[in-house]
Amino acid sequence: MEAYLLAIGIICAIYVLLALGLTVQYGLTGLINFGHVGFFAIGAYTSALLSLQGVPLVFCFAAAAALAGLAAWPLGLVALRLRDDYFAIVTLGFSETVRLTIASEAWLTNGVQGIPGIPRIMAGGGIGPQLVVFALLLAACIAAALAYRRIAGSPFGRLIEAIRDNEEAVTALGKDPARFKLQVLALGAALAGIAGAFYAHYITYLVPDQFIPLVTFQVWMAIIMGGVGRVSGAVTGAVLLMLFLEGSRFIRDLAPGLISEVDMASLRIGVVGLALILFTLFRPQGLMGDYTRR
Amino acid sequence: MLYLQLAANGVVYGLVIGLAALAITLVFGIARFPNAAAGDTMTLGAYVALGTQQGSGSLLLGGLAAVAAAAGVSLLAWALVFRRLAKRSVVALLVASIGAAFVLRAVMGVAWGHQQQVFQVPLAFPILLGELRINPMDLWLGGVALAALAVTFGVLHLTPIGRAMRAVADDPDLARISGIRPDRVMAAMWLLAGGLSAVAGIMLAIKTVVSPELGWEMLLPAFTAAILGGIGSPIGAVVAGLVLGVAQEVSTPFVGFTYKIALSFVVMLGVLLLRPRGLFGRLEAVR
Amino acid sequence: MSLDISRVKKAFGGFLALDDVSLKLADGAMAGVIGPNGAGKSTLFAVISGFAQADSGSVTLDGRTLDGLAPAARARAGMVRSFQVPREFRHLTVRENLMAAAPDQTGEGLFGLFFRGRRVAAEEAMIREEAEAVIDRLNLRAVAELPAGRLSGGQKKLLELGRVLMVRPRTILLDEPFAGVNPILIKEIERHIRALNESGIGFLIIEHDLAALSRLVPHLTVLDQGRVIAAGTPRAVLAESAVRDAYLGGGGP
Repeated sequence: MEAYLLAIGIICAIYVLLALGLTVQYGLTGLINFGHVGFFAIGAYTSALLSLQGVPLVFCFAAAAALAGLAAWPLGLVALRLRDDYFAIVTLGFSETVRLTIASEAWLTNGVQGIPGIPRIMAGGGIGPQLVVFALLLAACIAAALAYRRIAGSPFGRLIEAIRDNEEAVTALGKDPARFKLQVLALGAALAGIAGAFYAHYITYLVPDQFIPLVTFQVWMAIIMGGVGRVSGAVTGAVLLMLFLEGSRFIRDLAPGLISEVDMASLRIGVVGLALILFTLFRPQGLMGDYTRR
Repeated sequence: MLYLQLAANGVVYGLVIGLAALAITLVFGIARFPNAAAGDTMTLGAYVALGTQQGSGSLLLGGLAAVAAAAGVSLLAWALVFRRLAKRSVVALLVASIGAAFVLRAVMGVAWGHQQQVFQVPLAFPILLGELRINPMDLWLGGVALAALAVTFGVLHLTPIGRAMRAVADDPDLARISGIRPDRVMAAMWLLAGGLSAVAGIMLAIKTVVSPELGWEMLLPAFTAAILGGIGSPIGAVVAGLVLGVAQEVSTPFVGFTYKIALSFVVMLGVLLLRPRGLFGRLEAVR
Repeated sequence: MSLDISRVKKAFGGFLALDDVSLKLADGAMAGVIGPNGAGKSTLFAVISGFAQADSGSVTLDGRTLDGLAPAARARAGMVRSFQVPREFRHLTVRENLMAAAPDQTGEGLFGLFFRGRRVAAEEAMIREEAEAVIDRLNLRAVAELPAGRLSGGQKKLLELGRVLMVRPRTILLDEPFAGVNPILIKEIERHIRALNESGIGFLIIEHDLAALSRLVPHLTVLDQGRVIAAGTPRAVLAESAVRDAYLGGGGP
């Protein structure tokens, strides 16, 4: 039982990290990032591949965060000047291109066959290793939340608020808003990268199909449910998402003949889609595009 | 010669992208938002056509059923969701359309499963045109596409409702003041866009396979073509679709099979950075 | 820091907003730009500050051309502008507005924020002091803690000026600093401008209030329909019939 709860906790914490990444981006700059899973993938594959080369895990994780954050840079440079719906489309294209690249460059990533046998964070049986992973994840989540809070009350946060109030005035004072938005984009991406690294070393097996856009939108659904732009919202939303995913699996396990696994996957997509529609229709406050926050 | 052959292969593919891009640009130009459900509407068309053909033996019937189904579903989506979001931000509409896409995907998944299926089409020998080998099915599909385009452009330019659609795309306020009823225009547009998506989906499914991801994977090239052609320009969408389709096929020897899609992404970025209004569009607020 | 605008042309579609406009501002000097509504004054400022691109002609600062430099870069070069309609950061307090304007803050980068904590704290203290000085100088003490959105029109103008000051510019472009401001506050703003000019800051000022501007600056350039129709001392310029006609025929002061 404890093992099961721990497993749930670990996956939930990974989703919290993902949600925090998106929250940082949207909460601070209002950027609508539909390509979040792309950074998740970059982090996961980077850490996995490096670890298989014998690189110590600490450096693998650092590389995962760094590469994911770096990937945000050219994306941001190109896309930040676009209107928000075009930005969303471009980021979506980005994550699909990442997935396609991973699937094609078999020499590096083993393509669609995937990478098995990724080393765990801590070897050995029993509860112990799982607890360690969970504790590390928890620490990462807390660090991310604290970082977000620190930013909010800092000169950086002050300028970010100024940019939201009046971007042109910031430019007239000699500061380039794009540079700041880029840093925020990169930070959110790095968080997703770390989440990816944790994911890789927990699941121990990576395939490109784990990094489809559905993941991005599940995380969006999570933060919309929990409350966009807030740390508490990211945590609540991730927990709700976890309940949804586990709950649906539970229901299926109760009646295995009734609903096939494929059907359950379809139902899940349907629920995510329905949630997106319903929230857009009936809970617009603080929703994407109607970005106000105060 | 290889390149000419690739280019010839790319024409049908380009027509598929062009039709899909046309559907997208109609919605973008008239309802003013990027419709992410266009892809899954294509998939819907493919599945309905397949199912109807398997049941009735007639591909023609399958095509008609698909067009009707896709048009109907698009109309329903408008009536239930997009219409209510008309006054909201573009992103809200985009998100809702992604939701609609997912719901569509879920319904299709439950109805038809996730396995890939193929259309049973008559086997025929390629026609030799000089050194080019042309598949008769491609000619057929090309003809269907041209027919769909003829109908669309006919509606847009020769009928009152088509003129009304173009007026709304040009200047919605002016159109309203001139007495054009927005609901009628929207309904007609969604029917048209749905039908076009269905034709594109069937064509693609016949060329390749019927799978749940069929339409979604076409979204990126279709959006790219719509942007390249200039958002809101029907002729632009078709031309850009052809250009992109041929370019994708011709580039295959260089970039490999799977990067065809990545090519779309690069083209999209290029257009948005260098010439946001595309080939034929008016200056749109992209920034 | 001398500013040299030479033969600037700017058209919007078919409409010629600026036609062969030239203007010089010597280092530390003060000058004004006047003209009826629609004469092109704001367009001129937009071109100088980089918010619009001239079709031809040049803008140079200390001999260096500003061509191709983004507005933020021009501000960093030492030439800062204010806006006609104040662009306060309405959710930030007056003090925060001022502090946000201070340049080169280590704390405004994520790296500096997380890894140079002590330097950030030290800089914040310094910037806060500067902001307090500006608050006192501009008599904004009473509203220092208020969100800027709640200030009166005149106070917003003062804040606009204060923010510009925090950047420590060598040249300030003021766009209608007296518009919508009560007469007492106008006198106060005049005092501030004069004091700043005495400390070496150059000013180029657009204004409609001819009386106030004439008291303030020794040189006026008159624009009408995109062209310079007169330039010289206020007295000389205002006596010219062409200038009077422009105002009577046009929007009027």
